Amino acid sequence: MVLARVSKLHKSYALGRTKVSVLRGVNLEVREGEMLAVTGASGCGKSTLLHILGALDKPDQGTVSLAGEDLFAASTWRRDTIRNRDVGFVFQFYHLLPEFNVLENVLMPRMVGTSTWGWMSARREAKAKAAEILELVGLQDRLKHRPNELSGGERQRVAIARAIVNEPRFLLADEPTGNLDAKMGKGIMECLHGLNEKGQTIVIVTHDQQIAALADRQVRLVDGKIES
Amino acid sequence: MYKLILTVRYLFSKWIAVFSVLSVWLCVAMVLIVFSVMDGFLDNIKQHSRGLLSDIIIDNDTLQGFPYYEEFGEFLKDRMPGEIAVVSPVIYSYGILREPVTNFTKPVRIVAIDFDSYRAVNDFSDSLYYNRYYPGTTSLTQTQVPVAGIDGYDRPILPPSHELAYQQYLKDRDESNETSEDFSEPGFRSPHGIGWFKQRFNTPRMDGEPLPGIIMGTDVIYSKDKEGFYRRFLERGCEIILTVLPLTHRGTIAENPIPVAMRNVDDSRTKVYEIDKICVYVDFKLFQRFLSMGSLERVDGTFTPPRASQLLVRLTDDQGYKAAQPRIEELWVEFRESLLDRLTLSDAELIEGVSVETWETRQQDFIQAVEKEKVLVTILFAIISLVAIVLIGVVFYMIVIQKTRDIGIIKSLGATSAGVATIFLMYGAVIGVIGGVLGVLTGSFVVANINELQALLARLNPNLQVWSPEVYTFDRIPSAVKPGVMVSVFCMAVATSIFGAIVPAMKAAWVWPVETLRYE
Ligand SMILES: Nc1ncnc2c1ncn2[C@@H]1O[C@H](COP(=O)(O)OP(=O)(O)OP(=O)(O)O)[C@@H](O)[C@H]1O
Ligand SMILES: [Mg+2]
Repeated sequence: MVLARVSKLHKSYALGRTKVSVLRGVNLEVREGEMLAVTGASGCGKSTLLHILGALDKPDQGTVSLAGEDLFAASTWRRDTIRNRDVGFVFQFYHLLPEFNVLENVLMPRMVGTSTWGWMSARREAKAKAAEILELVGLQDRLKHRPNELSGGERQRVAIARAIVNEPRFLLADEPTGNLDAKMGKGIMECLHGLNEKGQTIVIVTHDQQIAALADRQVRLVDGKIES
Repeated sequence: MYKLILTVRYLFSKWIAVFSVLSVWLCVAMVLIVFSVMDGFLDNIKQHSRGLLSDIIIDNDTLQGFPYYEEFGEFLKDRMPGEIAVVSPVIYSYGILREPVTNFTKPVRIVAIDFDSYRAVNDFSDSLYYNRYYPGTTSLTQTQVPVAGIDGYDRPILPPSHELAYQQYLKDRDESNETSEDFSEPGFRSPHGIGWFKQRFNTPRMDGEPLPGIIMGTDVIYSKDKEGFYRRFLERGCEIILTVLPLTHRGTIAENPIPVAMRNVDDSRTKVYEIDKICVYVDFKLFQRFLSMGSLERVDGTFTPPRASQLLVRLTDDQGYKAAQPRIEELWVEFRESLLDRLTLSDAELIEGVSVETWETRQQDFIQAVEKEKVLVTILFAIISLVAIVLIGVVFYMIVIQKTRDIGIIKSLGATSAGVATIFLMYGAVIGVIGGVLGVLTGSFVVANINELQALLARLNPNLQVWSPEVYTFDRIPSAVKPGVMVSVFCMAVATSIFGAIVPAMKAAWVWPVETLRYE
């Protein structure tokens, strides 16, 4: 079953007067439960594609449908809900909130998706859930640490925990190992693999061939198109 | 939920929040102080204008006054039964005051009043200093000097009439629990004065030749030094010569100036410097005669009608003066018509010039000038507040820029644009509330103690003496903050802070998440 379908996606950036076309008609299908790796040269538009997949950016042309729903035809409000519920995003540069500790960072998607009154009753359960997920990524004894007190690999695992705390259907990871040494990168990949084995659909962007080889399927982005 | 948590977290983790609070605080305090002083000044003027005049003022603005005032008073009472509380005639003239012992002289404005009705028509009696402590002892008719003595136990004691009045005052004061006194008690009961009395007199008594009483404006009697303290000039009970200039009804000088020996009986403290520095109050009937405004025999054996400068009317309904004025004006016209065949030419001229005004229109020029000043100052400070708004806006802009990446993160987690904007609006509101509360507290404190602060400043450097009674009419800076002003200034502060936060918050909130995530 196809979870996400990208068709004829175009995206370009205006750099001064010239227009840089980054994506030029990308077509892609992501099947439910698979782990898909997107590779390509640096600057070829992998991150751009992933952002659009996660509704963090808008395309110039083309459509993205997630479980049959067109992401960019939906209302802003609906898109916010999709970001919160259906998509988990792991950024290349972690992007944790520096004022909050590990547990609070992981709880953030929960809080964002819950009303103030709802939070009163959901808090206990949410905390237990967050702690459980942090244990899954091996950070059970770092709950009260601030992000700047963690190593890069630990930060990335917090980011993964945050991405999956709402149990999204679709996990997007943008070079999750890009800033880490080989050993830590391996740990992260094991972590993602474990999730995938439990049925999590994952799209991972990487330029590392070894990492890509770990995925179920690989596609390559060349000249703004998916090379088959 | 996250909104609240983020707001609180940002507030406690950024020094910049302290600066925003500080700027709101100072602005609120400043606006509150300036507005309260201006507003208090205006209120003072209004209140005093009415308290010193009356609801309705009828006069022709000349020194010779106008005739048939008494008849008109009766006419009014007759035609508006139950609506007229008191009618009181007044004569204004000018004279020279001389104190025969020191030869101290001063030009004064003579206000000849019918003491009883004048006290009923306005708040004059509240301004009387001695009458406050010895109620009922002040009189404009023949009086002597009360001289204190000592009783059998060496305690100071006044003549019976004054002693009784004083006991009455003490009793009333205790009953009304009134503690705040504008002025200290008269000196001759204080222990300081006793030694002097003890040597000379054993029994209290009324001393000296009976003379008509004169009440003097407090700044006629005393002159104030720079600090605002009174220096004593004229003792209570001392003799005064008041020289007056009688005028005919055509305004020519009727006879030679008349010196009148009088006794200083009281001290009027209206707190309006312009009045206190020049006015003396004397008996109406007596001075009507001295000023040759009374009834005089003509060559043909008939009598001229007596004249007064002004007729003050107090209504039974305090609020009804605006509505009553046109009716009284009509009645005046009707009354004037009924007189026509009796009037001599010069009387007719005097009558013709008479107008009927309310205390408000009478003081209009002045009140309007101050009102304009208030608007002007408020506008000036609104502009200054605009600077504050810009400042707060800039501070928030900096915060938002610092937090741009965070905004992108939160949005990528599914926060709505409105939710993100709310964080910064709440941030602004909290700063506005804290700064506003602090500002209102400081401002109120300063306003409540503004006279003391001013005295303190003046002691440090005399050039800092900004309030001068000569310029600003009142001897003290008005020092009351109205709750309404407090509330509105506070609300303005909160609104301003939220407004200052709106623009950057909107800017950050309504973009796609990646656009803000690019800030590294
Ligand atoms: N906001 C932007 N404005 C202008 N150009 C942009 C913008 N975002 C991306 N680009 C350009 O688009 C191209 C693709 O960027 P993208 O980040 O998607 O590359 P990438 O494949 O993820 O590269 P890397 O492997 O280095 O992460 C780059 O050439 C980049 O300069
Ligand atoms: Mg990239």
